[in-house]
Amino acid sequence: MRDGYTMDLAMAEAARCLLCHEPPCSDGCPAATDPGRFIRQLRLRNLKGAAATIKRNNVLGASCGVLCPTRNLCQRACSATDIDRPIDIGGLQRFIIEQAREIGFQPLVAGDPTGRNVAVVGGGPSGLSCAASLAQAGCDVTVFEQRDRPGGIPQFVLPEHRMARDILDAEVQDVIDLGVAFVCGRAVTSREELEGLFDEGFDAVYLATGAWEPVRLDLPGGDADGIEDAIDFLVRSKADPAGTTARVEGREVAVIGGGDTAMDVAVSALNRGASDVYVLYRRSLQQMPGDEDEKLDALAAGVHFVILTAPVGYVVEDGRVAGVIVQRTRLGEPDASGRRSPVPIPGTEHVVPASLVVEAIGLRPPTAIRQLDVVSFDDGSRIVVAADSGATARTGVFAGGDAVRGPSLVVDAVADGKRAAAAIVAALDEEVAP
Amino acid sequence: MTRDLGIDFCGVHFVNPVMLSSSPVSNTGEMIGRAFDAGFGGVAYKTIGMGDVEIIHPSPRMASYDYEARKLVGLQNVEQISDRSLADNLADIRYLKKNWPDRIVIASIMGFSDHEWAELARACEDAGADMLECNFSCPHMTVEGSGMKVGQAFDLVAKFSETVKRAASIPVLAKMTPNVTDITEPALHAKAGGADGLAAINTVSALTEIGLDDFVPKPNVFGKGAMSGYSGPAVKPIGLRCIAQMAQHPDLGLPISGMGGIETWVDAVEYMLCGAGTLQITTGVIHYGYRIVEDIFDGMGHFMDQHGFETVEEFVGLALPRTVPTDEFDLARQGVASYDLDRCVGCGQCHIICHDAGGQCLAWDRDMRRPQMDEARCLGCMICSFICPVTGLIVYKEVPGKPAVLPPPSE
Repeated sequence: MRDGYTMDLAMAEAARCLLCHEPPCSDGCPAATDPGRFIRQLRLRNLKGAAATIKRNNVLGASCGVLCPTRNLCQRACSATDIDRPIDIGGLQRFIIEQAREIGFQPLVAGDPTGRNVAVVGGGPSGLSCAASLAQAGCDVTVFEQRDRPGGIPQFVLPEHRMARDILDAEVQDVIDLGVAFVCGRAVTSREELEGLFDEGFDAVYLATGAWEPVRLDLPGGDADGIEDAIDFLVRSKADPAGTTARVEGREVAVIGGGDTAMDVAVSALNRGASDVYVLYRRSLQQMPGDEDEKLDALAAGVHFVILTAPVGYVVEDGRVAGVIVQRTRLGEPDASGRRSPVPIPGTEHVVPASLVVEAIGLRPPTAIRQLDVVSFDDGSRIVVAADSGATARTGVFAGGDAVRGPSLVVDAVADGKRAAAAIVAALDEEVAP
Repeated sequence: MTRDLGIDFCGVHFVNPVMLSSSPVSNTGEMIGRAFDAGFGGVAYKTIGMGDVEIIHPSPRMASYDYEARKLVGLQNVEQISDRSLADNLADIRYLKKNWPDRIVIASIMGFSDHEWAELARACEDAGADMLECNFSCPHMTVEGSGMKVGQAFDLVAKFSETVKRAASIPVLAKMTPNVTDITEPALHAKAGGADGLAAINTVSALTEIGLDDFVPKPNVFGKGAMSGYSGPAVKPIGLRCIAQMAQHPDLGLPISGMGGIETWVDAVEYMLCGAGTLQITTGVIHYGYRIVEDIFDGMGHFMDQHGFETVEEFVGLALPRTVPTDEFDLARQGVASYDLDRCVGCGQCHIICHDAGGQCLAWDRDMRRPQMDEARCLGCMICSFICPVTGLIVYKEVPGKPAVLPPPSE
């Protein structure tokens, strides 16, 4: 995470903005945070107005400013690109929120009470977004969070070098300040518990349970000590830095995968004292799905990128992993993802030594979620919803975020929460209409 | 750059026309000496008083006017004339003339009585000053009835000019305030009093910013602000106008030392094109230091090469015959804004401002993100070109036979 802007630097950056008609940046934000408007507001010295635009559109505005892959979103069609380079929209977005906080300005206001009660299941980005929108619309909102506090993936998984804790904590506090109640340590894991929420008096439910289940490689030796999944590694690394350092320090660590999570693991492992970190990836650099900046940061941090290398097994000594058996690949024809597929080269098997291996292959919604069987699921245990509303098969139950999409951007989770909140308010209004 | 930029001004030879003006940047001999080493051709020494009335500068004494990320577009100041003793200032003049004999020292003076004007003139001439500049124009003197108050009482301009002229044998400049209805009026009075030349503009009386928490204008001098001198690039257009007005006046005919927002060679050349024979700089130095003079000389030299000028004097006043009352315009010739859309980046600001402030002649192609011009409705006002981020994309094009565009009645 870079240092934030100062007022001088922010104004200099905002001064580069072309203040476009029908700004393409605003079209490029999944959550409709509206950068075309908030940058103009900053430029015209209306900092409070800019902060209000961001926070009312996107309650995790500062977090998104840090986490969004902006070059693929708001900045993608920035008109300033053809002058020199796109405006640093994420940086300005974060600055505006931090500056507003600095001067004690809170743009969010709870709506006039409507007497409607809504339960939000899951306190991650999508749940927070939905809760904030509902509270601003006058609903009483209770968030049920399985863990001991809200925040989801950014809170428990993303390393400190990606996301400073105080930025997220402040945005969670904004939701609390809207009057949203949080019940932590309570999960909703069965059909009965879900239906029970209606019995408790909730008029609607938003499911934002996320996608926390790791996809694992099924390789020979995979159950040896010293092989773990990325989520587990990152959660422990964040919750227990000293303990993680004790486990990692001086070791050669292999990370399998090429996405943002793999980069997070690799850099975290270096930060916790690993002697060498190998990222093993079966395609080439260009096919890595992770954000360009995260890749470059990992390279700069000293991570070894071992590309065109597919794991095929583990070397296990005395019950503990001692290395990853890998095979060289070359790139063949594009696969279903549109990326050129890795083709193993026979006879190239060799061992990458590692006494700690972290599999960062992917995440998915937990299969246990299927017990909430009043809603429907696809083959990947993702909840099936109506795209325009987030409505599920069960009337009054809505869903969004990673539970619906699989692992996705925070800003997409925010967008889902907003969309569902609007649909919930509309549905409840319709109910009372004569 | 070895080009000779010398010019004769009021009978005095300047090795180049660029001086420090009378201000914080010319406060001491040591400072001015360094400016001479950097290349300045002369100095209007920080205004000297008799020292009988104690001068204390307000604190703080200046405030910057910034525009977006641009610092010091303008400078507000309430600094007074020199707070140093007459003896120290005279010693510094002697020091300068001894060590930099080819650089021109103009002693800026301000008396608080007729007698003081005469005494200051004599003292400065005796110390070796090459010229005198009467400060009739500081807009924020804490001593009642001085500075701009003199410059606005035209008979006093004539009277004190005459006093100084009689007391000294060296050339005398009258430094004029722009804070009058017509700057040529006090200039004519200065001429009537015998002044050999004019200097302008002194700072523009202004309020640049007001504190939003305490409602005090800046600089905030412990809870109080004042209408006071404003300078820098923001006032250059006013300065150019004043110089041209005086230079064009048929009854004046005095050499003019021009100043007001000069930072670059372009500003310097513009002042000379409007009739200034020498130039003075303060805010540019407050922004960049004495080193800016190097680029002024360089740029001026290249400008002269381009136009084939041998001396700077050749281009003094060339803009004057081309500066006319508006009733001399040829209103039969009209034109349009002409677009090179191959270079367009698609921001659409032209569409917005044409719609809200122009002729409503630019439609917006939403899919292509490009403006679509209806030339028949284009006023040729060119405001679109002012905000277009691609310089030169929109240029003025004369359309022979095009009538002036008249908006139809609103429906």
